[in-house]
Amino acid sequence: MEMLTFSHVEKHFGEKKVLQDASFSVPEHTIFGFIGKNGAGKTTAMKLILGLLACDSGEILVNGFPVRYGNTRTNRFIGYLPDVPEFYPYMTPTEYLHFCGEVAGMPAKECKARAKELLRLVGLEKERGRIKGFSRGMKQRLGIAQALFGRPKLLICDEPTSALDPAGRKELLDILAAAKEQSAVLFSTHILSDVEHICDKVAFLHEGRVALHGSLEKIRRLRKSTSMEIEMERPEDAKTLLAAFPYLQQKGRTHLQQEGTGMASGLSMQCGWQKGNAHLLLEDTARLPEILHFLAGQELPIQRMERKEPTLEDLFLEVIAK
Amino acid sequence: MKAFLKKEWMEGLRTGRTGILLLLFALFGIMNPAIAKLTPWLIETMSESFASAGIVTTAVTVDAMFSWMQFYKNAPMALLLFLLLSSGSFTAEYQKGTLIPTVAKGLPRWKILAAKALALSALWTALYFLCYGITYGYNAYFWDNHIAAHLLFAAACYWMFGIWLLALLVLFSTLAKTSSQVLLGIGAAAIALYALSVFPKCSKILPLKLMDAMPLLQSLASPQDYYAPMALSGITALLCIALSIPCFNRKYL
Repeated sequence: MEMLTFSHVEKHFGEKKVLQDASFSVPEHTIFGFIGKNGAGKTTAMKLILGLLACDSGEILVNGFPVRYGNTRTNRFIGYLPDVPEFYPYMTPTEYLHFCGEVAGMPAKECKARAKELLRLVGLEKERGRIKGFSRGMKQRLGIAQALFGRPKLLICDEPTSALDPAGRKELLDILAAAKEQSAVLFSTHILSDVEHICDKVAFLHEGRVALHGSLEKIRRLRKSTSMEIEMERPEDAKTLLAAFPYLQQKGRTHLQQEGTGMASGLSMQCGWQKGNAHLLLEDTARLPEILHFLAGQELPIQRMERKEPTLEDLFLEVIAK
Repeated sequence: MKAFLKKEWMEGLRTGRTGILLLLFALFGIMNPAIAKLTPWLIETMSESFASAGIVTTAVTVDAMFSWMQFYKNAPMALLLFLLLSSGSFTAEYQKGTLIPTVAKGLPRWKILAAKALALSALWTALYFLCYGITYGYNAYFWDNHIAAHLLFAAACYWMFGIWLLALLVLFSTLAKTSSQVLLGIGAAAIALYALSVFPKCSKILPLKLMDAMPLLQSLASPQDYYAPMALSGITALLCIALSIPCFNRKYL
């Protein structure tokens, strides 16, 4: 069963189109990664699901019920962690979680037990002070605790790992992975490795449109071929090889040097030749034997030869470059 | 709603807002009989300088009526301070985004509004009658409260005026983004009322009439004269609250 259905949704802020005909769905017990640049419309989409903003057109269903702007009853199925969570600073974390439980109509005894359990889960069980002294990371931990408090059927997290240190990030990803047992999870992020670690399905949001949507495996398969990266010991050998096989591509030394250079076709990628650069890229791996034959014949030493799997980052850059 | 009421109570106590208001209203309660008690001594002390200026002073006798007059002179200041300190009740939450996790848990917005309106009304009632009680106690100790007629009804009139202003505060809080906008809205409503009260027919029924409670104490007016403004204040306060519910439901948090 689909826990969330986002169907042909449009949202404008004045002249600016934030979402255009955006559609995707999140089934039960699925972790859904929501990927997009800043301003792509991720937070707006989440606020629409929570009824905090009104759709201009389209329909959103949560657990089969339509979302209404303002006072939506569908929020009783949802746990939400905002991008910058803000809580009542004069409360302690335990008091805040009790408040959350009471708001959700939970009995006092259950509230107490659940608060204790969740504070332990997010590593705040020893915090006795008030929330006003909390760092952003601590607020994010409390945020995930309050979002999980009512055992929601749909957990929505807006960039939940953005303020956390690497250990905290891993802990949070583990929590989200565990939450899948009882909830569908929708989370937005810029950290693509997080998506690759825990997501079952992803959607790439670009300029208000869902540019790609599907299971992680399906999305990965969209980049049909893998490529080979060849690093020569000497840069001049790389030049020789390039002269013999012009279809090879000169490659930047680091990944960052590739950004924004047009990854759509691979072959069309252009990197400026850098002094001392011995990196080459072979897109058509069927031609590898003839290159290997040439290398053996010329006795050109190779530093490294590596099969390069397409990453989500490549795909993301490809999508936003289109 | 009970959870939100508890939260409002905790907020008032821990931010110190309730403490400050308690202190101010207690101070106002003490100040009324204190001014009455000190006035003869003040006039006597200053009589010499008055005499040199050509002003002749005679012995002043003060009683409970004088103290109640001070009460109704100081009450607007107490009410203004209460409104100033309460004007951010909603808007501070919009600005910080603290209502979002609560609303996202499915708590109907009208319950938040009702809890806030109830908490504000209860605080105003407690503080106002604390001030009234202190003045009443001192007046009874020093003088005799029986000199003033319809004491409780007159106090209820002013209390009602406070409730009416709180209903306006709730309504403007659902429309405005900042506390200064809320105060501007209340100010504009007060100016509109003063403008209308220029017409004698209007002034008899407008909520502003409830501030003018001294004639009741002096038996220059009867409670019947205040029934119409009381009813109008009650009805418009209820209308304001009713109107604020759909406004709050559509409010961008």
